[in-house]
Amino acid sequence: MQIDEVVWQVINRGHCSFKIKTISQNFCRNEYNVTGLCSKQSCPLANSQYATIKEEKGLCYLYVKTAERAQKPKELWEKILLSKNYEQALAQIDEQLKYWSNFMIHKNKQRLTKLRQMLIRIRKMRLKGFKELIPIKKKAERRDKIREQKALVAANLENAIEQELIDRLKNGVYNEIMNYNTKAFEKVVGQNQMEDEEEREQQELEEEEEDYSDEELIFDPNDLEEDDEEDQDDEEDDQRLFQKQTFNQLRRENDEIKDIKKKKPRVQLQYEEEEEVEDRKKQQIAF
Amino acid sequence: MTSVPLVSVFSADDSSKVTAKHIPLPAVFQTPIRPDIVSFVHTNIAKNRRQAHAVNPQAGMQHSAESWGTGRAVARIPRVSGSGTHRSGQAAFGNQCRKGRMSLPIKVWRRWHRRVNIKQKRHAAATAVAATGIVPLVLARGHRISQVPQIPLVVEDKIESYEKTTDALNFLKRFGAFEDVQKVVSTKVVRAGISKQRGKKYRVRKGPLVVYFNENAKLLKAFRNVPGVEVVNVTRLNLLQLAPGGQLGRFVIWTQSAFAHLDKLFGTYRYTSIIKDGYQLLRPLITNPDLARIINSNQVQEKVQPAKTTKVLHEVQKKNPLKNSKAMDRLNPYAKKQRAAAVAAIKANTKGTKKIKKNKALKKASRAAYNKVAASLNDATKAAVQEEQDIKVKYFSVQKGAAQTE
Repeated sequence: MQIDEVVWQVINRGHCSFKIKTISQNFCRNEYNVTGLCSKQSCPLANSQYATIKEEKGLCYLYVKTAERAQKPKELWEKILLSKNYEQALAQIDEQLKYWSNFMIHKNKQRLTKLRQMLIRIRKMRLKGFKELIPIKKKAERRDKIREQKALVAANLENAIEQELIDRLKNGVYNEIMNYNTKAFEKVVGQNQMEDEEEREQQELEEEEEDYSDEELIFDPNDLEEDDEEDQDDEEDDQRLFQKQTFNQLRRENDEIKDIKKKKPRVQLQYEEEEEVEDRKKQQIAF
Repeated sequence: MTSVPLVSVFSADDSSKVTAKHIPLPAVFQTPIRPDIVSFVHTNIAKNRRQAHAVNPQAGMQHSAESWGTGRAVARIPRVSGSGTHRSGQAAFGNQCRKGRMSLPIKVWRRWHRRVNIKQKRHAAATAVAATGIVPLVLARGHRISQVPQIPLVVEDKIESYEKTTDALNFLKRFGAFEDVQKVVSTKVVRAGISKQRGKKYRVRKGPLVVYFNENAKLLKAFRNVPGVEVVNVTRLNLLQLAPGGQLGRFVIWTQSAFAHLDKLFGTYRYTSIIKDGYQLLRPLITNPDLARIINSNQVQEKVQPAKTTKVLHEVQKKNPLKNSKAMDRLNPYAKKQRAAAVAAIKANTKGTKKIKKNKALKKASRAAYNKVAASLNDATKAAVQEEQDIKVKYFSVQKGAAQTE
């Protein structure tokens, strides 16, 4: 009691390791401080008779310090367990701090209330769950967004779906004749054509190779004449051929454009034989 | 007076055992706490360990620089003579110049050390020792002493014979002083600034101070490698160690013989010191420093005049009594009754009369009548308007006709 005044003068005017100065207020970092503020009444160092409430594992304890134990830091704080019942705890405080200053009693009760409210909140959050706030990382967000877009483009969803549908068509999932986009139809047809022609081209190549090995490349006038005759007879066929060629040309161009878009290697084909028309007809029927 | 006058001496091996139960506190621990003396003495004594240093006396002056004088459109500062280099013609010598000498260059004969009156030094030391016995001051300084069994901590002389650091460490652990050592270890930081390169790489906190008495004690070697711990003989107590940084309240561990020697060293209030020849401990100005208690005591309050209340001469804001009834009441206390009487009179006058009830039927009828009148008015106005229009039409058509004919 006697030394308190001196201690406060030294601590307040001089240096106290628990004091935190801010522009508006001074705080006290001491773990036993009731209010958390740095003032003479609430300084646990400058008051030889002091009490606080502290919470440990959900239970509130009243810590009391008296002048008798001032020289024994180890035994300084007497720890009294408070009742879980709020009103009983308040009564306990009144009983333990009887005849103490009103300030001390009042602040302890306030602190008890605050701690209990905090405990209630903790319990609620544990049971009900709570919205965890996660900070937005700008850089990461930006990065992921761009990558998502790129991935979307790279996935070629449309093409994948198209392929899937065509496969289903081939497999015969769709039994009936259906109405669908003419462009898509022609594209599919074109694809099939290409596939067949690729096979045929390979065959041709093989045949041609064989031919070249056997024949001699000698110019024969007789052959020419034969060709002319053939030409006259085949005018009609030629016409048909021409029509088909233009049509195929158009289709080819269309495919070319698409291929450019796809960036695939373009397969150049030569339409010479009439068999193709029949094949196409066959395929049409099949559809 | 200020602290517990009786102290226990603890056994070195077991912190729960007490070898000597009640030893009286040396009088030093009851000296008044004087942070002002300590602060003054500390700032001066701290200068005494300084070594002379100086700036090279020729620094910045090794030129034959001369001022060019006036008339050359340049400042009159001395300029480096010669040619053929950038440096020639540049300003030299002045403290404001680049590569010039500093103003008032440091000399070796600067007064590095300060003398302080012996009495002041002794008072400071005594206060510092007293402060080591006050728990809140030691806590405020930042020592971790919450597990220490007693302050001041006095231990039997056995620790003076410790040779091994492990013994020293275990001893500190037993007495709750290890937390302070841990604090020192965990807060060791590389120093900011150039002193890093000048041999002061780390900033280390102060831990416990162990004070012994016997000159042959080996504990110096046992304790010196423990970070933060300092060991000192009682006869050579140093203010710079008792109050580092001018801050009172170092955590001190005394050996029993050291503790006993303090009375001889500083003397008591009855006898002057033997060792510090003729030194008398500082006497406090007030024996009871608790001012609040004194002022509120019966003896003082009896003699004290009653507190003067502040007299209010007038309101801060003038209130018109003719409008503000309270203000009126302040001036004329009877006004309240007058008002009440007036109200009562009105009430009395109107006592017999019935309250006029709103007759709904009447209201309806009157409304109907009103509407009728309004309607007739409406019709009248309409008719009038129509008439005018007709006239207008007639007039203009007549006009036209007239115009046509013409």
